Amino acid sequence: MKFKRILAAGVSAAAVLGMAACGGGGSSADDNTIVFWHNATSGDGRQYWEDFAAEFESEHEGVTVQIEAIQNEDFEGKLTTAMQDLSSGPDVFMALGGQKDRDMIAAGQMMDLTDKITDENKEKLGSSLDSATYDGKIYGMPTTVQPGGIWYSKDLFAQAGITEAPTTWEELIDACQKLKDAGIDPIAVGAKDAWPAAHWYYWLSLRICSPDVYEESMANKDFSAECWTAAGEKLQELNDAGYFNEGYLTTTAQQGASSSAGLLANHKAAMELMGTWEPGVLKDLTPDKQPMADLGFFAFPSVEGGEGEEGALMGAATGFGVNPEAPDIAIEFINKMAEKEWQDKYATAFSTIPATTESQADVTDESLAMLITALNESDGMKLWMDTSLGANIGNALNTGVVNLLSGTGTPEDIVKAMNDAAAKG
Amino acid sequence: MTSAIQAEAARPRSAKKEKKPSSGKLQRNLEILVLAAPAIIVFVGFVILPLILGFYYGFYRWKGFGMPSETGEFAGIDNYITAFKDPTFQAAIGHTFIVVVGSLVIQAPIAILFALLLNQKFKGRGLVRTLIFVPYVISEVIVGTGWSLLLQKTGAVNELLSYIGIDGPDWLADPKIAMITLLVIISWKYIGFAVILMLAGMQSIPEELYEAAKVDGAGFWQMQWSITLPLLAPTLRIWVFLSMIGSLQLFDLVNIIWGSYISETAGVSTMATYMVRNGRDSGNYGYGSAVAIIIFIISLVVALVYQKFVLNRDLEGALTEEKQAKKRAAKRAKEAQRLAASEVK
Repeated sequence: MKFKRILAAGVSAAAVLGMAACGGGGSSADDNTIVFWHNATSGDGRQYWEDFAAEFESEHEGVTVQIEAIQNEDFEGKLTTAMQDLSSGPDVFMALGGQKDRDMIAAGQMMDLTDKITDENKEKLGSSLDSATYDGKIYGMPTTVQPGGIWYSKDLFAQAGITEAPTTWEELIDACQKLKDAGIDPIAVGAKDAWPAAHWYYWLSLRICSPDVYEESMANKDFSAECWTAAGEKLQELNDAGYFNEGYLTTTAQQGASSSAGLLANHKAAMELMGTWEPGVLKDLTPDKQPMADLGFFAFPSVEGGEGEEGALMGAATGFGVNPEAPDIAIEFINKMAEKEWQDKYATAFSTIPATTESQADVTDESLAMLITALNESDGMKLWMDTSLGANIGNALNTGVVNLLSGTGTPEDIVKAMNDAAAKG
Repeated sequence: MTSAIQAEAARPRSAKKEKKPSSGKLQRNLEILVLAAPAIIVFVGFVILPLILGFYYGFYRWKGFGMPSETGEFAGIDNYITAFKDPTFQAAIGHTFIVVVGSLVIQAPIAILFALLLNQKFKGRGLVRTLIFVPYVISEVIVGTGWSLLLQKTGAVNELLSYIGIDGPDWLADPKIAMITLLVIISWKYIGFAVILMLAGMQSIPEELYEAAKVDGAGFWQMQWSITLPLLAPTLRIWVFLSMIGSLQLFDLVNIIWGSYISETAGVSTMATYMVRNGRDSGNYGYGSAVAIIIFIISLVVALVYQKFVLNRDLEGALTEEKQAKKRAAKRAKEAQRLAASEVK
């Protein structure tokens, strides 16, 4: 009888302790294990990192790489929580730059890699390193740069009688009208996710604001300059003319055939403004799961009277940061990412532009090659505005744009929303 | 009846206890400790502690990195002021209460009617009972994804409507319709739970009452009105409580069908979606915690007021204080006396 009681007590105590023990799974104390977090949860991307880790393990005896692929939308929240205690956080993790990186650096959660990345790699990476450099110090190993632009269906353009890709805003409006007259939805936009709609605003701002005003506004987070409202007004024109796909407010960006990428992949809409990842996303959404055959690309058109730098680019830069408490072997791990072989494979697996110049030269895809040329001609690439501003103001900006599109907000409200958000964080 | 049996069974045990009072008491305390400890630890760890931390975080402008006192900036009650002044939060509170009231008004009559129907004997009753309960069992994510695909501007519902020549509206994005759409989906999803509760309540009503009423010549609806409804009241009160609490916490359906951006413009954002959107998604962990505390207080006040004024008669002896119960018993005795006196007159 007594024995049973003691047993029962033991079991319940064990249950409680067991519960407390869950939630580990972060960095391990030993020097031969690298905990590695990335966001490629499926397909070629996931395979790429598995192959990469396997080769690294075979080169370094006794080292294990513990990979955790985390769904993109959950990534930031999980990382913030795990890094509360550096010893429970991952050793190497994906970092997208901008305000989030600045916050993590300020909290001492990212290792200064200035002396850790080899000189050879620094040379190969060149301007790609800009996206991971803060106050002259390098905090990340970039793997890809992903500028955006407009992806379109060549067949649908031909069907509407458009012979040349638009280069100015007027030509774009013209093309939209022709498509609409031909009974085709001109532009697909996944406004449910907000950022795809907000990208139209980012690009218009980049074209309309002079580089000085743009830089200054972003640095001071003050958007009172006139060009910020002007960008909203241009977007409103496009919206009022009805060039976005039907029901765009409840359209998602990438999920399934009814998403904006799905509409383009299935020839239900003619264009989409997106980053370089677009061909890879479209591939999974075409009826036969093959790359979209008639996919074309053109740079975001220039805006007449705009003071922005000619051909300026905006996009995402994916890189990898290192936990300050990570073992030394983690440094070798990130340096390996810049090897030519793995950069080439990265570009194929993710259908994107690699970060090193030597691998960029190997890219054969026509649209991507076009973007690389543009990248080399322009004075570096700006980060997406929401990434650059951080989640707080970035989210407010994106919401402001959605409100504008849905008719419940004005261009002035976008600016006001960004200022209001500053009070919350 | 069960309590009588329990009392009967308890007697020999208490007699045994009297034999060895000291060791028995110790054993009993140990038993209580061992059995209650896991529940208490979970409750303290996942309810009380987060609450205290939420209060603490809510006083800081804090991005979630490190400790607020080191990496944050003390803001006093600024977060609370900003929240109350934010028109989108005010709107979200409004939407939440529309959902609270709307689901009660829509679901209560439908659930009672369904339960009445399912309480009768007819062929295929079991199947209908199961079918009504199915939506409640399906996960919110699946329900949300399904409805959002059906109700898109170019979705299946409007496609069907176009066959009969109706140009369907934008069920989800149009601010005039979105709230109605949400209430319909919520009712469809949760009606099964209400029906099952009502059905259980009805089955505990003694058959004799209906037989007596029949003898007295009462019709079907008269019987439902005078017997079923009054005796169903305790069930109804508990269901109202559960439904209100559920509505106050509404998050998943809205977040999946509308997403955190469109829910604001469509007018279906709730307190919880506002908290996630402006707290976690925006990286404002301090502000989000302040909003969480506001939501907690609003829910607590609603729950306490309801318990105090409506639910207390059902919970008598269980949750309310003994003193109050005694007071009420005394009042009742007095009333009975008065009644008896007036009858004598």
